[in-house]
Amino acid sequence: MDSNEPMLLLSSRIGQIGDLGLDLLWRFLHIVVSLFHIVSGIFEAIQSYAISLGLIQKYSSVDIEKLRCLAVVLDIEVARDVAKVVELLQWLKTIGVKQVGLFDSQGLLKKSKDMILEMVPGSTLLQETGEKDISPDRKEGIAIEFISSSDNKEAVVKAANILLKRHLKTSHPEKDEGNNVFTESHLNEALRVVGENVHVPDLMLVYGPVRSHLGFPAWRLRYTEIVHMGSLKYMRYGSLLKAIHKFTGVRQNYGV
Amino acid sequence: MLSLLSCFLSLLSFLVHSCIRPWTQAKISLKDEKEIDEGTSYVAGEEETPKGLLREQMPRHVAVIMDGNRRWAERAGLLTSQGHEAGAERLIEFAELCFKLGIETVSAFAFSTENWGRHKIEVNCLMSLFQRYLKSKIHFFQSEEIRVSVIGNLEKIPESLLGTIKETEEATKRYKKKHLILAIDYSGRFDILHACKSIVKKSQQGLIREEDVDQTLFERELLTKCTEFPSPDLLIRTSGEQRISNFLLWQLAYTELFFSPVLWPDFDKDRVIEALVSYQSRERRFGCRI
Repeated sequence: MDSNEPMLLLSSRIGQIGDLGLDLLWRFLHIVVSLFHIVSGIFEAIQSYAISLGLIQKYSSVDIEKLRCLAVVLDIEVARDVAKVVELLQWLKTIGVKQVGLFDSQGLLKKSKDMILEMVPGSTLLQETGEKDISPDRKEGIAIEFISSSDNKEAVVKAANILLKRHLKTSHPEKDEGNNVFTESHLNEALRVVGENVHVPDLMLVYGPVRSHLGFPAWRLRYTEIVHMGSLKYMRYGSLLKAIHKFTGVRQNYGV
Repeated sequence: MLSLLSCFLSLLSFLVHSCIRPWTQAKISLKDEKEIDEGTSYVAGEEETPKGLLREQMPRHVAVIMDGNRRWAERAGLLTSQGHEAGAERLIEFAELCFKLGIETVSAFAFSTENWGRHKIEVNCLMSLFQRYLKSKIHFFQSEEIRVSVIGNLEKIPESLLGTIKETEEATKRYKKKHLILAIDYSGRFDILHACKSIVKKSQQGLIREEDVDQTLFERELLTKCTEFPSPDLLIRTSGEQRISNFLLWQLAYTELFFSPVLWPDFDKDRVIEALVSYQSRERRFGCRI
């Protein structure tokens, strides 16, 4: 019995040292991971500035033709900083983007659209036009669409109501299940009647703390690439160019 | 390269932590059993909440786009069908883990309307896989009390699979706490159009008037009406693609999007926890100012 006590004591001491060792290892690992994230953040910032200065050859030419329509989703807090929004639009115009849909859920940007259009040289309000109807001014400038949550579910409900009324006016609505009235092209047409744009954005950039499209018109989002860009306040031209460049390299199978 | 290194370090930290915690808890139990914290007691059927996660902040509904089976099979030198098999197995493990962590609803995008454009052999293989898995897992779903629902067009799928789907849904319809929704031959746009047609039918039957049609009524006609929480809190898409590909278009308005570079058959427990940690660290505002 007496000989067990020193052994138990030794075992306990070893255990305590082991616990301490593991605890230190865990904290060390935490520091390593945190340092890694700090370093990678610094690296990204440096890379972004290098891209902005045109020092990285890869990003000096972007195949912008692949990006026919860009959507920019702004968190409600971020959308209040109109100056930053204007700066972003100017950058997009410099890159060569022709069509931008600006979305914020509450419609704050819609209320400031005249000011924004005035502050971005060469910008026009996007109208629903046919492909051939592009004026020479439009080719150089940027067409901007202002979107809010009311253009999402409310618009689809209104469009659905239009189709419902159309269906009820057919000669035998009770026999028809609506297969000839409720098709994708009919809903597209009804959305246009309601005043909605049905252009499908190829790429969506989300600015804000949340990785969500915040209620952007769902009908248009089928195959849209979604990239979270972080804070608008700390946006960088290099990061923007990098995101667009990355998109041009994406290959979609469309489910096939 | 940097993202790979980041993933490796995160994984390493999880592994070390997984080793430390059981080791130190074993030491505690040897030292003094009275010091065991009752708050960490294990309840049968529940997964102990991993460190870094809060049980009360778990999403109620998690959706997943299971992308990457074919690439996984190619990299492993296997057939595409084996990739899909691995993907199916991974889905069962994923759903099981989610339910044990307290997540009530799991939706999985198993087959999209666009997938009909794939090679006929692959499509037939997938249909056969769905049938085999559903049939073989009925008892499992019953023993785990998981309700299974299948949403989608379902008009083109084989009769035998349709029969198995109905059998599975019928056998599990009484379970309330855990819900697995499989989207087969599903398209977000079809879902919206289907809701329109459903409203037409009800209008013809005199059940609703034109002026009753609003967002709430519309949402109740979508295919996700089978669940109390049709809008996912978190959407996970694997294999590095960053789009929603026509999945739950209406329902994803305020859903947190988590895009993982990992291929679906490799999306294991650590990856799930990574996604949930990322979800819990974000501030959701649902479009409003807080």
